[in-house]
Amino acid sequence: MDDRFQYRGDREAYSAARVRALEALLIKKGVITDKSVDTVLDFFETRMGPFNGAKIVAKAWSDPAFKDRLVADTPKAIAELNLPEGMAGAEGEHMRAVANGPDVHNLIICTLCSCYPWPVLGLPPYWYKDPTFRSRAAREPRAVLKEFGLAVPDAMEIKVWDSSAQIRWFVVPERPAGTESLSEMELEALITPEAMMGVAVAKAA
Amino acid sequence: MLTQYEGFAMTEMMGKPDNPPRANGSLCFSSEWERTAFGMALALAKQGYFEWDDFRDELIAEIKTWEDAHPVAHSSWNYYDRWLAALEKATVKTGILDADEIKAAFAA
Repeated sequence: MDDRFQYRGDREAYSAARVRALEALLIKKGVITDKSVDTVLDFFETRMGPFNGAKIVAKAWSDPAFKDRLVADTPKAIAELNLPEGMAGAEGEHMRAVANGPDVHNLIICTLCSCYPWPVLGLPPYWYKDPTFRSRAAREPRAVLKEFGLAVPDAMEIKVWDSSAQIRWFVVPERPAGTESLSEMELEALITPEAMMGVAVAKAA
Repeated sequence: MLTQYEGFAMTEMMGKPDNPPRANGSLCFSSEWERTAFGMALALAKQGYFEWDDFRDELIAEIKTWEDAHPVAHSSWNYYDRWLAALEKATVKTGILDADEIKAAFAA
């Protein structure tokens, strides 16, 4: 057992050293700079990702009038927030929000992976493009959600939204009970990409 | 329409054999070197040193070679090890670096 861990540790150190050598060489030759890696990663770490969706939903939870505007005209409502440029453009330009309610639960699926509203939700999980997931979610959403650990009461309607090149949907989950005293920032931490896809609900911490 | 290169590059990989590990909608790096290897490949493609698709072909080939040589779910699997091997090959094939130069830098 110890040997295996040792082996893993060595391999980690070996790969790390190879990467350091490669980066140093590329910088020395003027191919990239010491900022290149951070610049590229900044896009995923601070500009486009699930943290944007969490901000949008937290705002909707705190401000019912904003929630109404968000559902009525999603790009326009998102433009009110101080989010990175490009949120309402490029991949996000045809974004539409659908809100869960006491009688309705929404689920988004897509027949093409590029339809995922990733400026808001981040990059899709591996199963999202799985043909079985897609076809079953369209046909028997209640059973599929149950397999995800989400039992939707029989009395509650489930609406399935198929994203397309024209419209990319995301879900505004219900605000969990017992979160009345939380700030918007604290609320953001409760909002997962899965809840915004409708395969989960938001829960109080 | 302005599409960010980074976004285009990632979208291309989704659902394909070379699609990168993700957690909670974010790219998932288990250490700093993985993040650096990822960033270098994307930065080089973005600057036009090689086509993103050509790098991906190298990556897919590296993954296939590894899978053919190891049982499924072997514990030594690491996506970014394959990524690094593909990146080194891509820099040599496109003439950015030569193989001896890489070896010498690593030995230094």
